[in-house]
Amino acid sequence: MAETAIWNFKQLAHHELDGFGGIGEGMSIQIAKDGRRILWLAHESAPKNFTAVDVSDPRAPKLVARADLPQSHMRSNSLETVGDIMAVAYQTTQKGLQPAGFELFDISVPENPRSITFFDCSGPHSRGVHQLWFADGQYVHMSSGSPDFVPTHPKDDQFYRIIDVKNPSKPVEVGRWWLPGTKQGDSAPPPVRHPEHADTGFRPHNTNVYPERPDRAYLGYIDGGLVILDISDMAHPKMVSRWDYHPPYFGFTHTVVPFFDRNLLIVSDECTRTEGADWPKLVWIVDGREETNPVPISTCPLPPLQNFMRQGARYGAHNLYENLPKPNAWKSDRIVLGTYFNGGLRAYDTSNPYQPQEVGYFVPEPPARAPSGAIQINDVFVDERQIVYTVDRHVGGLYTLEMEF
Amino acid sequence: MSAGSTRSKWSSETGPETLFGGKDASLFGRRQKRARGARLPVVAVTGFLGSGKTTLIRALLDKPEGASTAVVVNEYGEIGIDHALLRSSSDATVLLGNGCLCCNVRSDLQETLRTLFADRARGAVPSFVRVIIETSGLADPGPVLQTFATDRALGREFHLQALICVIDAVAGETNLARMPEARKQAALADRIIVTKSDLADTGASEHLVKRIATLNPAPVAIASNGEINPSFLLDEPAAVRRNFKLGEADHTHGLESFSLTFDEPLSWPGFEQAMAVLMSLRGPDLLRVKGFVALAECRGPVVVHVVQHVAHPLVELEDWPDADRQSRLVFVTRGLGRDQVARLFAGITAVASGEQRA
Repeated sequence: MAETAIWNFKQLAHHELDGFGGIGEGMSIQIAKDGRRILWLAHESAPKNFTAVDVSDPRAPKLVARADLPQSHMRSNSLETVGDIMAVAYQTTQKGLQPAGFELFDISVPENPRSITFFDCSGPHSRGVHQLWFADGQYVHMSSGSPDFVPTHPKDDQFYRIIDVKNPSKPVEVGRWWLPGTKQGDSAPPPVRHPEHADTGFRPHNTNVYPERPDRAYLGYIDGGLVILDISDMAHPKMVSRWDYHPPYFGFTHTVVPFFDRNLLIVSDECTRTEGADWPKLVWIVDGREETNPVPISTCPLPPLQNFMRQGARYGAHNLYENLPKPNAWKSDRIVLGTYFNGGLRAYDTSNPYQPQEVGYFVPEPPARAPSGAIQINDVFVDERQIVYTVDRHVGGLYTLEMEF
Repeated sequence: MSAGSTRSKWSSETGPETLFGGKDASLFGRRQKRARGARLPVVAVTGFLGSGKTTLIRALLDKPEGASTAVVVNEYGEIGIDHALLRSSSDATVLLGNGCLCCNVRSDLQETLRTLFADRARGAVPSFVRVIIETSGLADPGPVLQTFATDRALGREFHLQALICVIDAVAGETNLARMPEARKQAALADRIIVTKSDLADTGASEHLVKRIATLNPAPVAIASNGEINPSFLLDEPAAVRRNFKLGEADHTHGLESFSLTFDEPLSWPGFEQAMAVLMSLRGPDLLRVKGFVALAECRGPVVVHVVQHVAHPLVELEDWPDADRQSRLVFVTRGLGRDQVARLFAGITAVASGEQRA
């Protein structure tokens, strides 16, 4: 079994979450009324919905609450909190199933999350919500299907939707956008599909909106590449630009994080295949000075494929730390933190954006009972204390770290 | 480029320099938590033949604190003996066969370290966390220090964490008296270890420590059975000592060591120019300059490390190590006195600050 490889990080603790350590892409900090710092985690798959961990002392995380999913044919995967409100994404395994949408919870008592409302997105062509962004307390930006959306291709079933949740008991859709040609009835022709083994859909993954540019949404549009939208009129989002680097690269553009002060866009792919079958999946540094023409200028260097491809399961880029615009989230316009499945958590200094430099990594030993025999580091969050939280996709649970670089 | 509402607000500043800028930009790249930043720490161990360097390093490698250490051995004399000793307990040992580490073999050291770094990145050697360089007995530490000074060399990948000098209590005093290389090793070190005190005459160690103090105010530790507290070997040097001036006792040999402090922050142009003049006019005599500088343009202290005519990459730290915000620099020079340097700094920084003549 591979040993933990750690460079310029210091591990503080590891919590396996009592046997349910498979965590998806939702990690959010709440400061509870009694002062406790609660980390909310969305599970990658059934049967668990979400787990709350008290990380006030990052050296001794404590399980606070955990919820089961209402159905086994669904996953939550993504969540965000603002104050005492938590939004949780629900995606079903098949189209037409329920519940598909998102649920809002009152988490003012972390031990007892109370449902406020459920926003239904189910329909004959919908699996519901894969990912949501909820940072300002008013709008949920998400990748979702809808009962009235019939895609031209079954894999393009999700699109960008903006839901106003200012009144949390009555969410209202205020805007939507999809890549022209992906909805039946569009005048534009459907996009040219990727080859079958690399066809992962023209649909958004992450849908990030920041207060520095409230009129912009930064979308990782999976097989569609990077998309920047003008959402100054939320009812009518308009595409500013799209950077599509597939082919020759495999698809699955996942996350776009702008470093506003530096006119940079950090763009991650998601590795979705095992043993290097979709290598390379990268984190790209993109020159965003001219937003209508994003230009890739470098990628974050990775150890060679052969070091990891036989470790089991996936090796390649996935989630980035997204500089969440919230008070209890760290902000950096220098450091990129990315999760690379069996390549662990990796940190890069982008001070010279043309030559990003690796400054640290954390590749924990494979958790006991790992189904693939490998670690699969899936997501990362950093709080304002600069404590790093990272999670395993399958069984490993939560790791807390300090950055030493 | 389309006009109207989609026009980027970013576009008003279009130079590529904006890609390097941002709120966290410092004059010297990213602010660092510590002087080494993310670079690999290097500990260079100097000391004469027979002083006990190998024994000390081997003892360290046997301790948990010494795990994951790559040792670079520069052989002088019987090739391979030290190498054979070290390889058994170290993850990655590299033998340099070129004898003494001096200017003309510096490229060998660079090549070796570059290879080590690349092998580590591609997983060909275990992921070591530090490098120890055991230099040969007569090695001049200057070129070793210079190896880590520039980006073109290895300043981007490696950081000289500490320069350690090992002096044995039996022969040390004689070597210091007779051998200029020994005095230079002692004068330039960040920390000094006295070995073989059990083999020396009573009082010899104490006498040697006093002699060392005339050359260098650095911390001195006495090894016990060839062992020393690992942190004395491995840690970053503690805060720079202030307000000392040595050299009188060694005047005939021309080595001087002194400190300068500045109460007020210096301006970057003034500091840069003062150092440039020193390096340009007296580079060969500027054996080592190290310390923290408070610059008006910077939030945190700037770590300075100059060896002769080359300066290590400057690093701005996120914060000061203690409450003291004074600039503090230690100089080890050959025939260049404190007063000369102090006057040079005073003159240039006054001109740079635009001070009016009284």
